[in-house]
Amino acid sequence: MAHSRRYFAGFAVLLACTLWAFAVRVGTAAPDFTAMDSHGRSETLSQYRGHFVVLEWTNNGCPFTRKHYESGNMQALQRRWTRRGVIWLTILSSAPGRQGYMTATEENAYLAREHAAPTAAILDPTGVLGRLYDAKTTPDMVVIDPDGKVIYEGAIDDHATTDPADIPHSKNYVSEALSEAMSGEAVAVSYTRSYGCSVKYSGAE
Amino acid sequence: MRLCRAISIGCAVLLAAVATAAAAAAPTPPRATITAKHVSVTLLIPPQQLFPGESFTAGLEFQMEPGWHIYWINAGDSGEPPTVQWNLPAGITAGSMEFPPPQRLPLGPLMDFGYENQVVFPVAMHVTADFHPALPQTRIAAHLNWLVCREVCIPGKGDLSVSRTSLRAAPALAVTDAAAKAVVARYESLLPKPLPAGDTAHFRSTPQGFLLDVETGVRDRAAQFFPLDQTVIANAAPQPAKPLPNGIQLALTKDENLQSAPQELNGLIELPDGAAYFIHATRGALQQSAGIAGSAGHLAGILGFAFLGGMILNLMPCVFPVLFIKALALVQSSRQERRHLRAHGWIYTLGILISFWAIVAVLLSLRAAGRELGWGFQFQSPLFLALVAMLFFFLGLALAGQFDLGLSLTSAGGSLAQRHGLAGSFFTGVLAMVVATPCTAPFMGAAVGYALAHSAGVSLAVFTALALGLAAPYLLLAYFPGWARVLPRPGRWMEILKQAISVPIFGTAIWLVWVFGQVAGMTALGFLLVAFLLLAIAGWFLGHWPGRRVPSVVAALIVAGAVAVPVWAVRSFGLPPSSDAAEIAQLIQHGKLAAANVWQPFTPSLLAQARAQGRPVFVDFTASWCLSCQVNERLILDNAAVEQGFRETGVALLRADWTDQNPVITQTLAALGRSGVPTYAIYPADPSAPAQVLPEVLTSGIVLHALNSLPKPDRQSAAVARPISQ
Repeated sequence: MAHSRRYFAGFAVLLACTLWAFAVRVGTAAPDFTAMDSHGRSETLSQYRGHFVVLEWTNNGCPFTRKHYESGNMQALQRRWTRRGVIWLTILSSAPGRQGYMTATEENAYLAREHAAPTAAILDPTGVLGRLYDAKTTPDMVVIDPDGKVIYEGAIDDHATTDPADIPHSKNYVSEALSEAMSGEAVAVSYTRSYGCSVKYSGAE
Repeated sequence: MRLCRAISIGCAVLLAAVATAAAAAAPTPPRATITAKHVSVTLLIPPQQLFPGESFTAGLEFQMEPGWHIYWINAGDSGEPPTVQWNLPAGITAGSMEFPPPQRLPLGPLMDFGYENQVVFPVAMHVTADFHPALPQTRIAAHLNWLVCREVCIPGKGDLSVSRTSLRAAPALAVTDAAAKAVVARYESLLPKPLPAGDTAHFRSTPQGFLLDVETGVRDRAAQFFPLDQTVIANAAPQPAKPLPNGIQLALTKDENLQSAPQELNGLIELPDGAAYFIHATRGALQQSAGIAGSAGHLAGILGFAFLGGMILNLMPCVFPVLFIKALALVQSSRQERRHLRAHGWIYTLGILISFWAIVAVLLSLRAAGRELGWGFQFQSPLFLALVAMLFFFLGLALAGQFDLGLSLTSAGGSLAQRHGLAGSFFTGVLAMVVATPCTAPFMGAAVGYALAHSAGVSLAVFTALALGLAAPYLLLAYFPGWARVLPRPGRWMEILKQAISVPIFGTAIWLVWVFGQVAGMTALGFLLVAFLLLAIAGWFLGHWPGRRVPSVVAALIVAGAVAVPVWAVRSFGLPPSSDAAEIAQLIQHGKLAAANVWQPFTPSLLAQARAQGRPVFVDFTASWCLSCQVNERLILDNAAVEQGFRETGVALLRADWTDQNPVITQTLAALGRSGVPTYAIYPADPSAPAQVLPEVLTSGIVLHALNSLPKPDRQSAAVARPISQ
């Protein structure tokens, strides 16, 4: 009867909606986005087609992020890879009032102070970009190849600690993925569980 | 002389060096506890003596400030578990840090696994035969690293050490720190165990993820799976459970980036009574539906209960007025032909059935979409409450005689009012269902809980039985109009009866208005009453010029305006759900609540805390729109004998307010096998003992009997039913 049909249709639609929750999968196309950076410029992912792109989620208060910034590791990575033509986008998805949120001025001052060298720092206070990429922690790294395909997603390295002393003997997944892809090899480790503090989305407690 | 001076200087330097070295080597006093930011960590070594051949369980105790948590061995989407490095003397060995079963800690779109308030990690330690202590005291030391988080994360580390007497052989009388031993033993008892021998766990891949079948030996209604592998399951996804005859089946959503199906699923399964088992599920065939045959008889029993429940529902305060109306219509039509009467009965039944099915369909769709809703949710929307209150008020006006809606007293709209007969009966059915939902009658509670835990087909069958039960009395009267003939003949008394019926209708409207006031606040309530005034004005138009087109149109417009008023008012003035916690805290502080029993707002951590303190807990699941809840509270829970019983048994009192569809409470209800209110549960102090669910129709005797069957507490805690200390 009419009601049963309506019920099944509604059921199917709602079920489909829940399945479509998160949209990023390694090996598939990276979702395009348009966002504002800390200099007021508009950045889109598609404008960087033809380059490798690294997305780095950050929160300057999180002890895991600070491990990489205070030791200079993140800055060194940024410098090393941007010199080879990689586009490095730092993304701040913390909601206003929460740890890691910064205004454009504050972010620019922070970048200068830390001698960080990303191509751009994207401000995402509404968390739209973070949720689009299912960013869970800071740091959370995504590497995209020149064809727009996600080739790595997950942790920055294999030592999930807050101790900078672990960095020299950690395997850096981002560098490995970029080196392998640039030399035409398949990426050996394409997905790991990212480690860090949770991304401070709005409405999350 | 020079030689002497050189020697004395040399001696002085040497002495100074030795002194410094000695000072540097002097042991720092051992600290068993570190108090760090938001957490304090203690090393618990229960035995006071260490001797060869001894085995004991040490504990690493973490006490967190409220709201702060540390993590399980698989922290989930973010965070890291604590780690320990032991510094042990020769001859003492330590096993690995054991992790008690965690809680799910949701964080927006993420899900972590960890512990709040307090947790002790047991560590098995053994003193071997190689233990040859040189000193009378032996020091056991540990270096710990941890991460404690709430909204932000604070990493911490520290060194703990404890000294114990060292002996060469077992003493005649071993001395133990009893309190420490008890704490460690409690958490050790919570540790997950392997599945009972002969029981297995299998899984199968599905498009969304996996179906995990776990045999636990008993039929389980709810469970949670905590994975040990980090990139296999989507941690935040809900895990719909389906009971099996001797276990449970969980539907798990896989991690989006899972490249290939795993060979094994490793993790923990936690059951509602606190039991936890290690799972190493292999790929395998699902348990066949041999279970269905066994549960068919069970299903028939449940359907019978549902039918009975539906019939009894006719007596509930929220349905009876509608039945009154139908009885009245029956009286008026008792002279019609039998066929018409039967048709009326069936159409009424159809109205109820279709409305039930529509609600069940929506409920199942929402359940499938992952939202946790139980039965009765329509009344949790303040706008819905307002509209139904206005409907009843309008009907009350018609019945009281302000205007006449014709035979179909129960039609909800102006146009429907003209369609007396079959359409009127249909909409009476719909109305009956609409008002029945929040009243969970005794039989209905268990049936609804059962149905929602089962497949869509079973849910539909149970609700159909319920709907038929609700419709049965009227249908019976329609089929045996002979019984209707027992009713008096139409006459002037009908008019009086009609006006008298407006009384329970207005009463229902008052109840709905009261609930609306609770949920949406006083200002919105004021505006709802303004809408009532507009309805009365519309009614005057209809009454003064009956049946005329222009006044009817005017009345309809006024009604439309009246409807717009609560819509706007709820949006502008609707209150967020008020929390009693602040009020209660303030009253306690001012000593106003010292002597009375204090009901604290329910949270799972408060429940666990009370049980950890050795107190049983009485939880009252209630909602402002649930009439039977209010009745039970005023008459039973607040009466002197029951209050005395609570005081004497030292029971902690928690009230779970479900007025605003709190998902945590819905989940707790599901774990008890219920999906609606009222529900009353007594959780014994022993965390491994199951909760006792009391019947919905309470009497003092039932409550006191249940309290008396609890183990007796010690005297001093029985002075007054104190709030749970935090």
